[in-house]
Parts: sequence; C-alpha cells; structure tokens
Amino acid sequence: MAYRSDDDYDYLFKVVLIGDSGVGKSNLLSRFTRNEFSLESKSTIGVEFATRSINVDGKTIKAQIWDTAGQERYRAITSAYYRGAVGALLVYDITRHVTFENVERWLKELKDHTDSNIVVMLVGNKSDLRHLRAVSADDSQAFAEREGLYFMETSALESTNVENAFKQILTQIYRVVSKKALDIGEDPAAVPSQGQTINVNSNDVTATKKVGCCSA
Amino acid sequence: MRGAEADSDAEKKQTYITEFEPGPVPPLKPVDKYGFLKSDQSTTVPAEVSSKCKPRNEREREEKRLRKWRKMIGVGGADWKHYARRKPSVVKRRIRKGIPDCLRGLVWQLISGSRDLLLMHQGVYEQLVLYETSSSELDIIRDISRTFPSHVFFQQRHGPGQRSLYNVLKAYSVYDRAVGYVQGMGFLAGLLLLYMSEEDAFWLLVALLKGAVHAPMEGLYLVGLPLVQQYLHQLDRLVKEQLPKLGTHFEEEMINPSMYASQWFITVFSYSFPFPLALRIWDVFLFEGVKIVFKVGLALLKYCHDDLVKLPFEKLVHALRNFPEDALCPDTLLPMAFSIKVSKRLEELTFEYEQMNNPSQESSTSLKTIRLRGLPKLC
Repeated sequence: MAYRSDDDYDYLFKVVLIGDSGVGKSNLLSRFTRNEFSLESKSTIGVEFATRSINVDGKTIKAQIWDTAGQERYRAITSAYYRGAVGALLVYDITRHVTFENVERWLKELKDHTDSNIVVMLVGNKSDLRHLRAVSADDSQAFAEREGLYFMETSALESTNVENAFKQILTQIYRVVSKKALDIGEDPAAVPSQGQTINVNSNDVTATKKVGCCSA
Repeated sequence: MRGAEADSDAEKKQTYITEFEPGPVPPLKPVDKYGFLKSDQSTTVPAEVSSKCKPRNEREREEKRLRKWRKMIGVGGADWKHYARRKPSVVKRRIRKGIPDCLRGLVWQLISGSRDLLLMHQGVYEQLVLYETSSSELDIIRDISRTFPSHVFFQQRHGPGQRSLYNVLKAYSVYDRAVGYVQGMGFLAGLLLLYMSEEDAFWLLVALLKGAVHAPMEGLYLVGLPLVQQYLHQLDRLVKEQLPKLGTHFEEEMINPSMYASQWFITVFSYSFPFPLALRIWDVFLFEGVKIVFKVGLALLKYCHDDLVKLPFEKLVHALRNFPEDALCPDTLLPMAFSIKVSKRLEELTFEYEQMNNPSQESSTSLKTIRLRGLPKLC
C-alpha cells in the first residue's frame, strides 16, 4: 500500500501550491512546514514536497503539500501533480498585479487537471510590502467570492496568516470529505479517489481516510 | 532586496537595463575554495569530507597532473585537437579523473566545441546583448538573485556576476527564441560563468543546446519539455532493469522519477549538488554527453539502495533529494558511475520512446526518414 507512514494520522490530504513564478510559494511552504523563510532561496525547478500534520476537531490531518515551479513552461511536468489534489493554494503577489491577472489562467489549469470538488484558496502573498501594494484586498475578495474560492492575504516573511491559510483550507477539505463520508454511510470505499483507486503512473495522493483496508 | 523586487515590472526592467548601478558590496563572509559561503551546506562540501576522499600526497600528484594537462592541450589549447584525435582514450581517462581547476574553463570550451563556434561568430554576442530585446527579460531578472544565491560572485545586486548572468541569459533568449528563457538555464549559465567570460559562456550554452558535439539539449527547455519527459522515462526503465528491487519498491510507493530527477537533467546536477561533485560531472558531461547524468543518477541510487528500499513514500522523496554526504563524494560516486553501462540500452529506449509517442511514424532511423530529413520541405 502506498503512502504508508509511521506517524499517526486520520486523514491524508494532498494539496498543491500553484501560481506565477516568484510569488513566494516555496517560502509559504517552508514557513508552514519548517517555520523557515529565506530571502535567498533558489527558484524551484520541477516540484518540491513537504508535509505537516494539524489537528481539526480532534482528528489528525496530515497535509502532503506539493510546491510547483511557477514558470509556464514547467506545467508540462507540474500538472501531473495536480491529479488527486483535494486542495490548492493559488498564490499571487500583492505587489505585482500581473500575478493576480494570471489567477484566472491558473484556475483553468486546475479545472483541466483536478476534480471539480477541489477546495481552492486564493492567497495574496507578500502582505508585508504594504507601501508597494498593487492589488487591493477588496478586489481579490470580490473575485474570490465570484469564483467560489476562499481568500486570505499572507506574509511568509512576517509569518502572517500562513498558519491560518493552511489551517483553513485543510479544515474545509476535512468538512467536505467527512460530509461525503457521512452522506454515503461511512463507506470508505466510496470516498472519492481513495487509496485503492490511485491511477497507475500518476502521483495521486488524495483524501485517503485511514480506515479498513486503506489504512497503512 | 524585497523592496526592489516589488517595483512595478516596467520600472524594474528600466532600472536593470539602464542604471547598472551596483548595489552595496555584501559584507565579506568566509567562503570555500569555489567561492560559496561556508554556512550554506547544501551547495558545498565541508573541508573534512573533501579531504577524506583524497590521499595525502595530493599536492604533488596535482602538480604532476597539471603538467601533463598543459602538455596535452598546448598553449591556449593549440595542441588539443591533435592530441584528442591521436589518443582519445588517454583524454577520456584524464577527464574522468577531473580536469585541473585552473584549466577547467579553457578545456570545457575545447571539448564542448564552443571555442569553434565563438571563432566562427565573432561579434554576434555583443550584438545580441546590446541591440536586441527579449520578451523573457523580466522573467530572467526575477531569477537572477535566485541563482546560486550563496555564491560570492552572484551576491551583489547588479554586481558583475549578476550582470553577466543576465546578459548571457538574455542573449540566449534572443538567439533562440523558441527556447527563450526557462528556469534552470540560469544554473547552467551561472556554473559556466564561474570559469569563463560572458561571451565564452554564451557560446558554450549554444554548443550544448544546439548540439555542437553531442545530442542537442534544447528539448529540455522547449515547450512541453519533451526531452525531460524522454529522459525521465528512460531513467525509470533503467532503474527497473538495473536495480529491480528498488524499481519495484518505487512502483509500490508510487515514486516516479519526476519527483527527484527532473533537476538532474534540467540543470545537469548543478542545482542542488555539492559544487565539487557538479564540476567533476560537468567535466565528463561535456566530453561524453548526457549518458553520464544517467550513470551518476543510477550510481546514487545504487549506493543508497539498501536504505532506500526500506523507506516509505514520504521519507523516500526526502531521501532522494537529500543524499548523504558520503554518497556525494566525487571519488566514491564517479568510479561507481563509470562502471554502470547504459549507452546501448539508452539508444534502444530512445527508439522505444519515439515509437511510443509517434506510433504512426515508421522508425525514425529508417533510411526513408533520413533521406526525407536531408531534403527539407520537399514534401
């Protein structure tokens, strides 16, 4: 069985970090998983990966987070990692308007490669650079509401809202998944994209509920 | 740093191109013999590790080697071609032992064919840098400070290192607009710039991507990254064939090579491997071609095999991106890599991959295709 782990968790959720190059995806990930930030980080080539567990309603939820290279050319490789994702943090840089304009293209990218139930959070990063703001929080909020996305502004540098953003998206995923499990009478096999249904050759890690045959 | 990063894009471009005002010189910090800040463990090997792999009488041996090398290449590389033709196996053996660092830049240009390209295209680089504009300029600028950030040459904002890196990448993106600029190319250019001038680095990049001596690398960066996909497929097969137990374990844990090996190919091990190892790989890579990337990759997996087969998915991904120091010692890893044979199988797998992706086409090596290829746009 794939994705066994020796640590204990109730749910394992795969989340992807997407958005234009240089918006701070890797630093959001390192802030959340290791509480680290680097002004001198290298650009991401291909994909990076990290995990962290949090507690929601007494359940341990493990997030398996894939950080992807932002440059368009890399989508040839990175889009394979969207498959099976139950959550996405779509990141833009509040000081570069073009990265916000490109959000729609990223949404389309998600639509093309993921399940329609995926929980998406729009994240305006670099909120510490107040004097250079080029995207207003109101505009983003309105956009997010229109598109049915969650929204939050973060600063990986100052560690503002990073924890909240990840916690909120993981909690929402948990609500969706546990509601689904409830709707279908706790039949683990019916939880979408469960362990056994992992596609050959894909990198699917999804809402793998740790019960019955699917537990590690 | 962050403040400037956040200028509007247009402003930033303007600043970069017209002002060329170097930022403050970063405070002096201890660096290793290659110029990397000592605190950054990810790109350098601690002194004790490098000395552990080398014998005591190293200095004398190095001097002897240097004399041999000087004799072999002649003044300014004058005797190189003659020697390489007459004694190819001696050249290959010496390169595999490592090119002396003080001759590295020159020898790289000789073995890659870039020296010839430069001589044939005098003035072209200057033209590309000074008069052409590229649609990739902003992308390049954004990545400049994110390329070898821990190397002293590239640390100063708008300093000589960053400016050279920008110029080379911009020139290439104009020279080959189909490739343009792709993240990862900066690591190639950056590595080269530590050993040669901008213009020399540019032509070496051209030699590699356009295939002056070996198969062209441009497919690693073209839309769809076709060559990355092909190499990952080939690596996957080689792992399964040569390290079957690990191959099965990878399959069970759903590890695929794109999770760990994309950067091996895209940056030829220059992205995250210890610099001394990257240099030794580049010596061989420029002379023998991309098969060394497969060999080194397989050697790493082989060296860590017994640990890797025990690890579950997440730890496995981590281990595949953080090999232990002893595995990354050039004098341990490279002999192991050289002993792994891949050439013939790689050719077969290339053929197989082409068939798989273009099932309608006949064999690309068939006489018919070759003839058609020789007559462009006839049909």
